Amino acid sequence: MTDRITIDPITRLEGHGKIEIFLDDEGNVANTYFQIPELRGFERFCVGRPVEEMPVLTNRICGVCPEAHHMAAAKAADAVYKVVPPPTAKKLRELLYSAFFVTDHTTHFYALSGPDFVMGPQAPVAERNILGVIHKVGLEIGGKVIQARRYGHEVIEIIGGRKVHPCTSIPGGQTRGINEEERTAIEKMGRWAIEFAQFSLQFFADIVLGNQEYLDLILGDIYTHRMHYIGMVDENNHVNFYDGLVSVVDPNGRRLGKYAPEEYRDWIAERVEPWTYLKFPYLRKVGWKGFVGGEDSGIYSATPLSRLNAADGMATPLAQEQYERFFETLGGKPVHQQLAAHWARLIELLYAAERWVELATDPEITGDNFRTVPTETPSEGVGIVEAPRGTLTHHYWTDQRGVLTQVNLIVGTTNNYAPISMSIKKAAENLITKGTVVTEGLLNMVEMAFRSYDPCFGCATHSLPGQMPLEVKITDARGETVEVLRQYC
Amino acid sequence: MERKSGARSGLIPQDCQVTEHGATLVIGLGNPILGDDGVGWRVAEEVQARLQVLGNGPNARVERFSAGGLALMERMVGYPRVILIDSITTGEGTAGNLTCLPLSALPDPSAGHTTSAHDTSLQNALELGRALGARLPKEVWVLGIEAKRIGEFSEQLSPPVEAAVPLAADKVLELLANGGGGIEDHDLT
Repeated sequence: MTDRITIDPITRLEGHGKIEIFLDDEGNVANTYFQIPELRGFERFCVGRPVEEMPVLTNRICGVCPEAHHMAAAKAADAVYKVVPPPTAKKLRELLYSAFFVTDHTTHFYALSGPDFVMGPQAPVAERNILGVIHKVGLEIGGKVIQARRYGHEVIEIIGGRKVHPCTSIPGGQTRGINEEERTAIEKMGRWAIEFAQFSLQFFADIVLGNQEYLDLILGDIYTHRMHYIGMVDENNHVNFYDGLVSVVDPNGRRLGKYAPEEYRDWIAERVEPWTYLKFPYLRKVGWKGFVGGEDSGIYSATPLSRLNAADGMATPLAQEQYERFFETLGGKPVHQQLAAHWARLIELLYAAERWVELATDPEITGDNFRTVPTETPSEGVGIVEAPRGTLTHHYWTDQRGVLTQVNLIVGTTNNYAPISMSIKKAAENLITKGTVVTEGLLNMVEMAFRSYDPCFGCATHSLPGQMPLEVKITDARGETVEVLRQYC
Repeated sequence: MERKSGARSGLIPQDCQVTEHGATLVIGLGNPILGDDGVGWRVAEEVQARLQVLGNGPNARVERFSAGGLALMERMVGYPRVILIDSITTGEGTAGNLTCLPLSALPDPSAGHTTSAHDTSLQNALELGRALGARLPKEVWVLGIEAKRIGEFSEQLSPPVEAAVPLAADKVLELLANGGGGIEDHDLT
């Protein structure tokens, strides 16, 4: 018989995630199960609709990264219609997408991961949030965060037609271009974003890298997993969020290959486990060996850290400097300390800001050839982009009229389902010994494991009243409840 | 790094600070393709239609929105009063039941880190905005409609929730008729 501990994070729109921890006879962790909820019926909901609706429809799947779904859907729809958007359209999309990355990575760092480090992982829960951060280090930071978000949203509105839920990408390109006045405004905001990104990296260096306790936490064993990594790269094997091939590296940093969107099924397989609705993607060529790391196990992750590990560098100069510093500081490639994803995210923030300005100053960006009208008969297509929280794959099949007959999506977080499960198990192993449970520590460590992967469990659009309660249920060997711990229940 | 205090101006973009509207902002929240979660949008549409019929009615701006936390706070800037319409699942009561209360009466998950994997709570976001000197509403009402089916993609509301749409619109118009509100002028420095 084993003891059983359940951590049940419940919220209306984030869904019902549940963690069950089984203890062995000695009271140590035998196994953990992390169940992720699934919002049902999206595929069925799409079938029968014209494929050109997908860029606006899929950005309603999830309120967290609608722009990523918009782009992946537009690229998949391009492929379905066998049409290549003109350079101006491609650049407009990537420009919008770079601004989106700045917004999203900023929010994640300052509202979520920053507080752990600025306030400290042991700080009272009520202080570990963005308010705690601004009270500790100054209001200016809050102002900069709001400004970065505002500028990002403004660019998205100029190019994408709407804030948050863009609507201008269609098969073959964009519905509209930008004029010189808009370009100038975008460039100006981008230059501010570069400064902000540099400020953020300096902030991270001062607060985290300058603190031995935090460095130990990042470099320590709890969040270290040796696994494979994937991430999209350009023709120079530099990180790219919008277009390119997906690079796959093993735990030793050796590149196993690069795949084009239409080849994803040759590389990625999905494991079904009886205890959860969500499938576990793994590398087909390496195979499924259970929830273990190492070169023989096909488990991979797709995070900012994975992208840096899977690439040879960054395409912009300031981000490249930071990239080199990152690997020098952490002892070379690949980096397996998963909490380093927070640092990697800030390097990507700088890259996104630099790319924003690069594209805003590209002579083609104000061009008036922003759409190639499709002429081929539609059939099947795959679109891949890097979402902030992982590689996002959309695969559509249509009939000859372009009406959807089948849809398959592998979203960012799904890629990381197995690694998150492994991190939770390791955190539990560290905090439960011979039946003794470090209760507050358990909740915090599990949350920190979540946060490093920046997971998206449901298709949240918002949350009111806005809480994600955690319930930890401890059951003894006879199946009786010994203790129930709750946070925000 | 030491804490900086003082000047409120310049902390956030100029246009976030000075915009002022006399109107009450009515926001229908939710995901329009996620079953009963779309009810906030539907009520907002109903309110908009009725206001058009009324013509010279209450001074209100009606919007539909699919975001929370920081983005929702940013949307409220400059309005003296906000009414949020959203689906809720209290686990008590039957589908279609209405709950109307000020935001301050809702539980405040002040530790924003568990609020969502990607955002902070609306309460936290409002406090942050106020600390930065943003002009935010004194009064935020939440009208919740008990939902039944929010885990499945659909453009349809379940029948009891659908039936609650006109009643919820009545309630919003009642709140609008009562007036009130004002810009919260905090200085937390």
